[in-house]
Order: sequence, then structure tokens, then C-alpha cells
Amino acid sequence: MEVTLTHYLVLATLLFLTGMTGFVVRRNAIVMLMCVELMLCAVNIVFVAFSRLHGDGGGHVFVLMNFAVAAAEAAIGLAILVEIFRRRRTVDVDDLKALME
Amino acid sequence: METILFWLCGALMVLGGVMTVTQRSAVISAVWLIFAFVCAAGIFAILDAPFVAIMQVLVYVGAIMVLFLFVIMMLQGPVLDNEKRRLLKLPLWPAVAIPPVAVLVLVGGWIRRTGTRDFGGTVPEGFGQPAAVAELLLGRYLLAFELVSIVLLVAIVGALAIGKEARKLPWK
Amino acid sequence: MESHANEILLRWIVLVPLLGAAANGLLNRRLPKQVSGLLACGAVGVSFALSIVVFLRLAGMPVAERFLSDTVTTWIGFGRLQVDLAFALDPLNAVMALVVTGVGFLIHVYSLGYMAHDAGFQRFFAYLNLFIFAMMTLVLGENLLMLFVGWEGVGLCSYLLISFWFNDEANAAAGKKAFIVNRIGDFGFLLGMFLIGVTVLPHLGAGEGLLSFRVLQHHAGALAPAATAICLLLFLGATGKSAQIPLFIWLPDAMAGPTPVSALIHAATMVTAGVYMVARMNFLFVLSPAAMNVVAIVGAATAIFAATIALTQNDIKKVLAYSTVSQLGYMMLACGVGAFAVGIFHVMTHAFFKALLFLGSGSVIHAMSNEQDMRVMGGLRKKLPVTWWTFLVGTLALAGIFPLAGFFSKDEILWKAFSSGNQVLWAIGFVAAGLTAFYMMRLLVLTFFGENRASPEVKHHIHESPLTMTLPLVVLAVLSLVGGWVGIPHFMGGGAHFEQWLEPVFAGGHHVVEAAHGAADAAHGAAADAVHHDTTMEWILAGASLAWGILGLLLGWLVYARRLGVAEGARRLAGGFPYRLLEHKYYVDEAYEATFIRPGYRLSKTVLWKWIDAGLIDGILVNGSALVVAVVGSVVRLFQNGMVRFYAWSITVGVTVFVLYLCFSG
Repeated sequence: MEVTLTHYLVLATLLFLTGMTGFVVRRNAIVMLMCVELMLCAVNIVFVAFSRLHGDGGGHVFVLMNFAVAAAEAAIGLAILVEIFRRRRTVDVDDLKALME
Repeated sequence: METILFWLCGALMVLGGVMTVTQRSAVISAVWLIFAFVCAAGIFAILDAPFVAIMQVLVYVGAIMVLFLFVIMMLQGPVLDNEKRRLLKLPLWPAVAIPPVAVLVLVGGWIRRTGTRDFGGTVPEGFGQPAAVAELLLGRYLLAFELVSIVLLVAIVGALAIGKEARKLPWK
Repeated sequence: MESHANEILLRWIVLVPLLGAAANGLLNRRLPKQVSGLLACGAVGVSFALSIVVFLRLAGMPVAERFLSDTVTTWIGFGRLQVDLAFALDPLNAVMALVVTGVGFLIHVYSLGYMAHDAGFQRFFAYLNLFIFAMMTLVLGENLLMLFVGWEGVGLCSYLLISFWFNDEANAAAGKKAFIVNRIGDFGFLLGMFLIGVTVLPHLGAGEGLLSFRVLQHHAGALAPAATAICLLLFLGATGKSAQIPLFIWLPDAMAGPTPVSALIHAATMVTAGVYMVARMNFLFVLSPAAMNVVAIVGAATAIFAATIALTQNDIKKVLAYSTVSQLGYMMLACGVGAFAVGIFHVMTHAFFKALLFLGSGSVIHAMSNEQDMRVMGGLRKKLPVTWWTFLVGTLALAGIFPLAGFFSKDEILWKAFSSGNQVLWAIGFVAAGLTAFYMMRLLVLTFFGENRASPEVKHHIHESPLTMTLPLVVLAVLSLVGGWVGIPHFMGGGAHFEQWLEPVFAGGHHVVEAAHGAADAAHGAAADAVHHDTTMEWILAGASLAWGILGLLLGWLVYARRLGVAEGARRLAGGFPYRLLEHKYYVDEAYEATFIRPGYRLSKTVLWKWIDAGLIDGILVNGSALVVAVVGSVVRLFQNGMVRFYAWSITVGVTVFVLYLCFSG
């Protein structure tokens, strides 16, 4: 069976749903961030696949943009986590309920 | 050849994603994620995007994931490596499962109705090569390119500002 | 478009004062006074120098091509509605630019001395520079919208500077009065502008700026049907800014500001903006004889009305203020009878001698420890020699004594009024001219002659002003002396250079008339020319107005210096009613108070406040929306449980629902 665009999209969907589910069920903030990275990667696959479909390199450029966003997000997110850990000695989100009040 | 590579990389990537989510140890999760990202690089390579593939390995695996591992090691503590608590209480699982399952059903139904879509045609000469991407980056998308550099700059400053101890900040 | 270097200069004429204002305004107290003053004067000085450069450039061009423009960018680009952020220079605004920056520069220098001990020194110069910026935008703007931006800008600066010493309630109130009265005029201006836009838009070709003066002039024919309405609306704006009846009431109160401000804004430059605007739109005004008549009648009425009030005022600045209103009336009269060039000529000469008079009065007030009442002045001739001599020159110029500046411009206005067939208007202007001479002599006598009537303590402090103040006085005195010579009319053997210089701007208007009214008016024009060649009448009128001016001065001298008791007699004349009428400025303020302000107050208090504000807005809109928020909040609260994962889950559910909706909706 030949590999079509649809295959790639389904693959990306599976990865995205995996990351999404992981983000909801995991309690460790670091792993949650990793799940976000996984979701971003799934989006990247969609970009590259459509780029291939149209023969237009614009999708590649957006993937590179996504890299930068992912890097920025990881840097900021992890910096926040480190700071939280310093103060609360935990990165378990269920223990971090300050938002409630 | 392409078909074989796709199935191989795709399957391994899904495996890597699932393992990332299910492993209790953050370190092992991170290693699985690296594995998944390398597979994604393979997927990119099959899709005529060699430059993106290489960047995927360099940026994600080489930089971002190293950062993750670094932070995990920095924060080492019993809490991280072993989650003693269960992920969720049992009655909540259906609620968590409904959205992804709904989307999967939707996608399945969609494909059944419309069939698959072929790529068709060939890509232009040099597609996805560094030269082609560079031309776009510094031409059509120059503004976006520059804006991203600002995003990164802000991220650097932000990370520094958060990371520094509050009383040592220059404006306090 | 052949002179790019000079075109770019235009924007710098405008921008340099803005930079000065920004430096002074932002750094404020952090700037030492010397640096602040130097910056402000330097900025205007640069602007003046640049104006001279572009003026010379313009003068060097062939007469028909005298036009420079500088388009910075397209401001509003909206299909065919296009307005440029652009500046332009033609003979008309070249004159205005020179006057504004030149007199402005002198007054900046004067302020160095006058404001030296004021705590708000830097703020003052920031406002002053900002004013020059706004005024130059008004003058150099290439289209009506730019003019309007400058128009509002000078209004703002006027407000800020009138209430400069805002600790005093009266000053703040005067500022507000000026602002609000001007708003009424601006409203008319705005409506006029809209009407122009709506009328001319269907006729515009591609790439033509909507409100550009040149484009409007080109399409004047299309505007002809609406010309009367447009011109009357625009003129309403001009009555506000140039203090004409019925909106003149703000200008005398505006004297609450520092005296250099009165000189710069409320005598020399800003208040002439209305005249400039009417002259600028001359091609439209000439299309509407009705509007022209209104302009001329309002101008003449204002001239005599304000002159009579000036007879009885005791505050030295109030006299000058009413004199300014009166002179502005003359300028409007000139525009109204179609002699735009003469109107602008009077703008220029008036800028010289009225700025001189105001600065001189500032010097007097400065010497008298901030006393403005002429009844306690007197005898200052010996103690303030420079001020006295320059003030004398200014007075003679204003009274229209040959060969000072005021003679030529005022006489030209009267002649044009006469020769255009408006003998009644001429007579009104003629009477007002005599009154002008009379009240100026009264001012001069009360201030500089006789015994000093001040308290000994004040008397002790009387001193001549520092050089920064006297130098501008001397320069302005020289200008008042010779400034009229550029426009010596033909019949006296002069070249009427000023009129010739402005000819290209106003000739267009006449062409428009000819195009609109056909050849019938051409014959009339020839007849007018024929009148022009007979100079006997001109000689007679000029001689009469000179004699009349001297007579006015003489009467003033006899009444106030010789104390013939005439003044006392006049005061008691007919039960004292006429005198009280004048002293209370014809009760115009009181009339407005009774007709507009009190009913407005009552309306606001009963309907707007009690019902609309308290009932509708407070009761239903404000409290009602707060109630809605409270109810919604108490429900939404349940979701705000602090569980991050619950939030994440909510997002996934939301996105899923959204995707499902997208799939099944289309």
C-alpha cells in the first residue's frame, strides 16, 4: 500500500492525541512540558507533509519558526519550574494549587 | 523503500510517544522522547525535507531535550523519579479518554468517507535543501524570521529574569 | 518636483520646534534654565533660518511655478479617499511662515528675560515650542486636514498657555473658556471640511489627495453649488480662532496668560489663523458672494465693536486685546471685499506692531511688579526709555500714521472696501480707525505720562527690562517702522511688491470666478481696473485717514493729558448708560450666560444628570452589568478549582468540541 498524505496526517493525529492525553494525565510538570513538545512535533509533521503536497517550502519555514517557539517555551517553562521547585520543593502540579484563590 | 521507512519510523515514533507518556520516571520519559524525535527526523527526511530533518535532530535532540535532561538532573529528588501516587483516580479515565477517542472516530469516519489523498506530482529541484529554505527565510519570510529572533531574545531575557534570585534583580 | 533638497527642508521647519518641545517637555526640571532657553530659542531660530532659505528658493523661481512641496507619507489611503501627510510652500504661506517663525523667535528671546524667575520656565518653553510646531503645521500643511491638525494644535497650546499659571482659578477658567469657545468654531470648521469632502469626492481623479488645496482649487467648479454653505461653516471656524463676532469673547480673557503668550499667540500668530484660512480658501469664498458679504460685514462690525469697548478698559492688556480683536476685524473685512492680499499684508504688519505693543506692555508690567491696571501707572517715560520709545512706534503704527507699517496696510484695506463699492463698510472701518488712534493715545498717556500713581514700594522697584527683553522690542520697532514699505501702493509711486508677491495665489481665485460666472464679470473687472487708475480718490482717502488718525491721537492727548474733563463728562453722558455699556463690553458675556450657559446648565442638571446619568447609566448600565458579572462569576467560580490538569482537560474538551463543530457545520 502506497504511503499517502493521509497516512502522515493520521500519524500526526496519533502523536498529537498522545501528547494531549499525556498532558492531562501526568502530574509531573516536566513531563507535561515534554508532552507539549510532542504535540508541537506532531504539528511539524503536518506542516512538512502539506509543504510536500504543494511543493512549497513555506511549511519548512514554519517548522523552523516552531522550533524557535518550542525552544523559547522550553527555556521559559523550565526556568519557571526551577523557580517553583526552589520555593516549594516539588514540581507536582496537584500540589500547586495557588491559582485556586 | 519509502513505504518501509514510513511504517518503521511512524510505528517507532508512536511507540516513543506512548512510552514518554506512560513511563513513571521523568528521565526515562525524556529518553523515549528523544527516540521519538529522532524518528520524526526520519519522517521529515522521507518527506523531502532534509534540512528540517537535520534541524530536528540538532535543535530538539541536541538542545531542547538536553535542556530537559539537565533540569531533571538539577532538580533530582525522589518526587521526580518515582510517582508514588496513581496518575488518576479510576472514575476519571473515561472523561480523559472521551476527547481523543472522539477525534479518532471523527478522523476514521472522515477517511472512510473521502478516501485517502495522494501527494501526486513531483517536487521542484532542490526542494527542502538548505539553500531553498534559506532563500525563503531571508526573502519572503524575512519579517517572520526577524520577529522570531525577537521572540528568542525575549525568552532569553525572561529566563534570566525568572532564574535570578528576586532580590538580586537590577530594578529591585 | 525639481528641488528635492528644499522640499525636505519644509518638514524640518515644522519638526525642529517639535524636537525642542520634546526635549524641554520630557526633561523639564532636569534641564538647567539656560540650556532649556537656549534649546527653545535655537529650535525656533533654526526654523526661522530654514524658512528664509526656502523663501529665497521660492523667490528665485519663475512666478508661475512658485510652489514647493514635501510629501512625507500617505496619511489616509482608503480607496479614492487619499490624504497625504504633506507640506507645501507657496507665496502665501511663505509670508506666514516668515512672520510666525520670525516674530516667534523674537518673542522666545523676550521670554528668556520675562520668564527668568518663573518656576515653570522649562514647561513654558516646551509649550511655546509646541505652539510653533502646531502653527507651522497649520501654515505649511498641504491640505485642509493638515491645516486642521495645526488648528487644533494651536488651540491646545493656547489653552495650555492661557492657564499656564493654573494655580489661579481665574486663569484656569480663562483657558477653559478659550478652549470651549474655540470648539464651537472648530465644529463649524469640521462640518465645512466634511461638506467639502462629500462634495468633491465623486469628482476626484486617481491619485488626487482629497483635501489638498491644489486639488480643491482645480475642482472648485464642482464645489460651486455648495460654496455658500461650506464657506459659512469654515468662516464659523475662523470667527472662533480669529475672535470675530460672535465668538470673540474668549480673546480678552485669554490675557490671563503670560504676556509673551499674549503677544505671540493672541496677537501676532494664532489669531490670524482664521484670516489665513479664509485667504487660503479664497478660491471657494469668491464663488459665494453671500459668504463674502457675511465675512466683510462681520469683519467691519467686529472692528468697530471691539474698538468701542477698548475705549473704556483699564487693564493695559485688555485694551490691547480688544484692539487685536478690532484689527482682526479689519483683516476679515479685507478678505470679505476680496482683497485677500491686503488682508495678509495687515496680518504681517499687525504681527509686528501688536507683538511690539504686547511685549512693551509686558515690559511695563514687569517693571510695575505685575500691575496691569493703567490707573496706577503713569510717568514711566523717563524710567523705561527703551520701552517708551518702542511703544510709541508701535502706537503710531497701530494708529496708522504715515509712514509706519500700519498706515499702508490699514489704508489699503479701507481703500479696497471703498473701491469695491461698500461705502458703508468703509465708513465703519474709518470710524474705527479714529477710535483706534484715540484709545491708543489714552493708553499711552495713562501709562507713560503724568505722575506715577503706584504705591511707593512698587515705585521703588521700577526698572528698565534686561537686554533679552529690550532687544526684541527694538527689532520689532524697526519692523513696525519699515515693515509697511514692502507694500507701498502704486499711486504713491511704490511697487505694491507685497500684492504682486501674493498674486499667483489669489489670481487662481479670480480665474475660478471668471470660469463660474462667465464673461459678465470680466467686464466688471475691467471697470474696477478703470477705477483703479484714477488715483485722485485714493489720495483723498489716504489723506483723510491719515488726518483722521492724527485727529484721534490729538483728541486722546487733549482729553487725557490735558484733563479737559471731557472723559468725566463722557462717563456721565446720558445717565452714564453708554459708558457702562462699553465698560461691561456690551454685556455680551452676560447675554451668553443667560441664553446658552444657564439653560445648558439646567438641562444638564435635570435631564442629563438626574435621568440619563444617574438613572440610565448608573442604574441600568453600570450596576446592571456589575450584577450580571456577579451572577456569572458565582457559577464560573466552580471551574476555578486550582487543578492545573483540570484546566488542561477543559482545553482538550473545548478544542474537541470546536473541531467537531467545524466538521459538521460546513
